[in-house]
Amino acid sequence: MAMSIFNSNASKSISAAIIALSLLSAPSTFAASCCGGGNASSLVLPRFGKKMLDISFDIEDYKGFWNQDGDYIKDPKGADLNQYRLNLGYAQRLSNNWQASIILPYVWNDNQYSGISSQEHGFGDTNLSVWYEAFERVTCVYQVNTIADLKPSMYFGGSLTLPTGSSAYGDSASNSFEITGRGMYRFDANMIIEKTIYPYTIMIQGSYGKYLARSVNQEYGKAIEPYTKRLGDRKFISASASYTFFLEDLDTLTLTTAISDLHEDAGKIDHDIDPQSAMKKQSAALTSSYATADLRYIYKATWSHAFQDDDRGKNFTVTDIFTLGLSYAFN
Amino acid sequence: MHSIKLIGLLISSLFLTACIEDLNPESKDLRTISELGPIPSQNFTAVTTQNIPVSLEDELLNNDAVVLYFTMWCPLCDSHMSHMRSRLISNYTNVRFFMVDYVSGNISQSRSSQLANGFGDLTLLVDNQQSLLNSYNATMASVIVINAENTILLNEDYKNGSRLIETLDNL
Repeated sequence: MAMSIFNSNASKSISAAIIALSLLSAPSTFAASCCGGGNASSLVLPRFGKKMLDISFDIEDYKGFWNQDGDYIKDPKGADLNQYRLNLGYAQRLSNNWQASIILPYVWNDNQYSGISSQEHGFGDTNLSVWYEAFERVTCVYQVNTIADLKPSMYFGGSLTLPTGSSAYGDSASNSFEITGRGMYRFDANMIIEKTIYPYTIMIQGSYGKYLARSVNQEYGKAIEPYTKRLGDRKFISASASYTFFLEDLDTLTLTTAISDLHEDAGKIDHDIDPQSAMKKQSAALTSSYATADLRYIYKATWSHAFQDDDRGKNFTVTDIFTLGLSYAFN
Repeated sequence: MHSIKLIGLLISSLFLTACIEDLNPESKDLRTISELGPIPSQNFTAVTTQNIPVSLEDELLNNDAVVLYFTMWCPLCDSHMSHMRSRLISNYTNVRFFMVDYVSGNISQSRSSQLANGFGDLTLLVDNQQSLLNSYNATMASVIVINAENTILLNEDYKNGSRLIETLDNL
């Protein structure tokens, strides 16, 4: 069974596709104000940074899914469902406190069942973001001497997801295995609050997303009676804690553990609620990131794990996501 | 400025290569006259996970309609099948409902998936050669309704089931 995300919404292979994709929610990462950071759906420049290129590769391995009742159900025997994503990102500082970024994924769906196999690929949904940094100076400190030293870095932003992937609602996908996007525009309001007192960092990241309604007149290239579809509001929150090791030449190695919770409300089809579209997912992640002393290069590896237990999700695929990435900051 | 141009170029090329219909969705009805007219169904034979042969012709002799739902044991499929079981199947006693497993390679694998997913009470057809899938141009979550006159009344995604209910109510 396989995106997401679908999200889309989701099926397994679709799931593989859908969801994964659109719900790129693997929590990462590392101290943003000091080193830059973000996750698969956001890219944040360090405070002093002017530009940054980011490239990462995700390997998402499908284990099963949670049904509507929250029961965890393993994938069928003989099924091996995977999605691979190459995420290309670029962030640009616009002014002292404003920055923008774009992330474009390319997606490979690799689905193997005992009775059918499929390998498909294509662009995923594109993410455009703008961030406002509500602080003037880097807030990472080595020692707390005054109350001011406790001030966190706060980022407020907005992002737009463009449906540039292949969804079920056009003619670019002829079956669910070919899905690489959810086919819906979405606006998110995002927030990051992060504080580093070396060697410790804590971070809370949240977002609230609203999909735009859209007309649908085809499904998998097949003309159908038109209808209007809107996915439900999306809520995401993640909390993380990090520890930074200082290496020779002031290079750093940061280990981060994070937990996240993702909810998507039921959507609507025409004026009727679509209760089958509501979903929920809880996951945890471990990230290690290695930054050079000049913070030009950051190498990162993340393992995001969805809990393979009952009541940790609903109507959603259960996956492990392995991510390898490299960020390069420059002026 | 150079970087901004670069981003613009990237986005432009993206739009050119990406699927346009999702970026500019339309509400226009694209169905042709032939698609709106009665579309006959081909007869099919298949076996259930209980190894019982099923033929469309035979089923239509004894029922007002046959419903096919294509599952790949995904969360969406699970919710659709649960919805059918709880809200539809018992309400339409003159309609024969078949779930169609097109991803399992054989009857025993299909039966195993059926039981593991908690749908042992539904009738599941094993489409291990994807002949039904191809015949109806179906995919995950497709639902097909064929009436007693052997006409395909519905062939699209299940969504929230409202169109299936509407179709069955109008039989």
